[in-house]
Amino acid sequence: MSSSAVSLYLDPQIRDWVLFPITLVMILVGILRHYVVLLLQSPPKKLAREAIREQRALARSQILRATSASSPIPPSYYRSISNRLVAAFEAGTYLKDGPPQGDAPSTPANPMTDPAAMDGMMAGMKTQMVMMVPQMVIMGWINFFFQGFVLIKLPFPLTLGFKSMLQRGIETPDMDVRWVSSLSWYFLNFFGLNGLYRLILGNDNSAADTSQTMMASPFAAGANQPGQPQDYVKLFKAEKDNLAFAEGLYCWMGDDVETRLLRKYGRL
Amino acid sequence: MAAASLPSALQSLANYRAHNTRVSQEVVEKGKLLLKAKSASKLGDDAWAFLEQLALAAIDVAKYEVADECLRLLAAKFPDSPRVDVLSGIRMEATQPPEIALKFYDELLEKDSSNAAICKRRISVLIRTGKVEQAVLELSEYLDTFYSDVEGWVELAELYSSCHQYTFATQALSHALLLAPQNPFYVLQFAETAYTADDIPLAVKMFMLCLDIVDKHTSEESIPTGVSIRAWYGVKLCCRALSGRSCSSASDTPLPKNLNLLDELATERILTAYSAAGKDNATIRELVLTWMGPSDRSGGRVHFVR
Repeated sequence: MSSSAVSLYLDPQIRDWVLFPITLVMILVGILRHYVVLLLQSPPKKLAREAIREQRALARSQILRATSASSPIPPSYYRSISNRLVAAFEAGTYLKDGPPQGDAPSTPANPMTDPAAMDGMMAGMKTQMVMMVPQMVIMGWINFFFQGFVLIKLPFPLTLGFKSMLQRGIETPDMDVRWVSSLSWYFLNFFGLNGLYRLILGNDNSAADTSQTMMASPFAAGANQPGQPQDYVKLFKAEKDNLAFAEGLYCWMGDDVETRLLRKYGRL
Repeated sequence: MAAASLPSALQSLANYRAHNTRVSQEVVEKGKLLLKAKSASKLGDDAWAFLEQLALAAIDVAKYEVADECLRLLAAKFPDSPRVDVLSGIRMEATQPPEIALKFYDELLEKDSSNAAICKRRISVLIRTGKVEQAVLELSEYLDTFYSDVEGWVELAELYSSCHQYTFATQALSHALLLAPQNPFYVLQFAETAYTADDIPLAVKMFMLCLDIVDKHTSEESIPTGVSIRAWYGVKLCCRALSGRSCSSASDTPLPKNLNLLDELATERILTAYSAAGKDNATIRELVLTWMGPSDRSGGRVHFVR
């Protein structure tokens, strides 16, 4: 069973012409992708002041709610702020287009019809394409030329569970798990090069976050961007209830502060 | 000689930037060296931050030709940048009458109403020219949009205090408290404003709250310093005011329990602050003792807020 008895001998040519090239190509493609994404990025859109106000109105009440269980401000002040926010949410003061008229159904705008939303989605898709296309090409390249190659032997033993991870593309039940196939080497690089990119390109580079963005669809990515249509009428309505809950939890820090203070100095 | 000092000058300038230190004279002296050495091009992306810093510092010490040089370089690199706009606005404020600066800011705001920095510059010009009423109006409007600007709320509170609108000032400060609940200075300011507004029960609570935050990590024996000694003085003053007469509270704050114990504690803490040996301390302690006096003597009311 010992690996020294039945060891494979790898041709050094494999190391020079397969292992290193794959790694090098992946690093270079990552760097190239970073610059292409930079090139494709459009400057962030400017929001009108009303739109900012609408967006940040929720943050206001969240700030109020976050501290309500041990609030730094006295009850009368808390209640006045809370009531004002509730009234404003109810009346739709913070809505960008003014309070909703009558009983017109308030549906969120269809993103397909709104040109601004379309732009955001296109930008997301472009970035996705830049991420995906090179990866597919590299994978095809490796599959075509180096299918079934064993590239490297890991210097430490592993359990059988890693077999499917490290020996993708080689269907051998008996080979030691420490041998890594070409396709697996690609995947290891794909997920493992983030640290290197961060070192080369700085912390907020667009090459490193491939693994996360690959998972998300372009549509989901678009929805999270600021400036996308959100139904603020509904959000405000929900926030109103949250404020009511928070008021139930409200407790002023100053309620028993004298007891705390006196106890600390041993007077009680 | 100059070449050797350049890297160290750069280092200290970057340090000032990182810590937001306002040492304009030194910045200008070091910056002039760098500007003369034409090393801006060698600096890469840092050059622009440096030029902005130098321009601000130069305006600060009225070296306008240096500021203009920086502005020229910046404007050439970033023709439409709102940040450069703000900078040129500040330059304008330095030498032109305020009306022209206001007009310049108005034009910029018309183009882009969401530019917070320009809003703030505009408000600061208004305050400087004494149009407090309009400044308060615009500041409230600005804060309605950019709620999370703590300094904005504190500034608003100060503006209200300057017009003796202490209730409004406490309201503005309550927003600052919500945004930065861990900052004892805001609590102290709230307490002092409430004291000045004659809401003594609220003030004493807030003074104690401030002490609660500051003293969290100090032991019982430690000597109060800085904020905490000021807050203890506040507690003492409040206790004195409360014992003299029955106080009404505009905010319906209940009176603290064990007022006598609190008074004793405050007296002791204040005296502890001056307990260290030393000639100065002895005289101060003497003075404080006379000020404390017998508890029934209600001294002149001290106003915290100017």
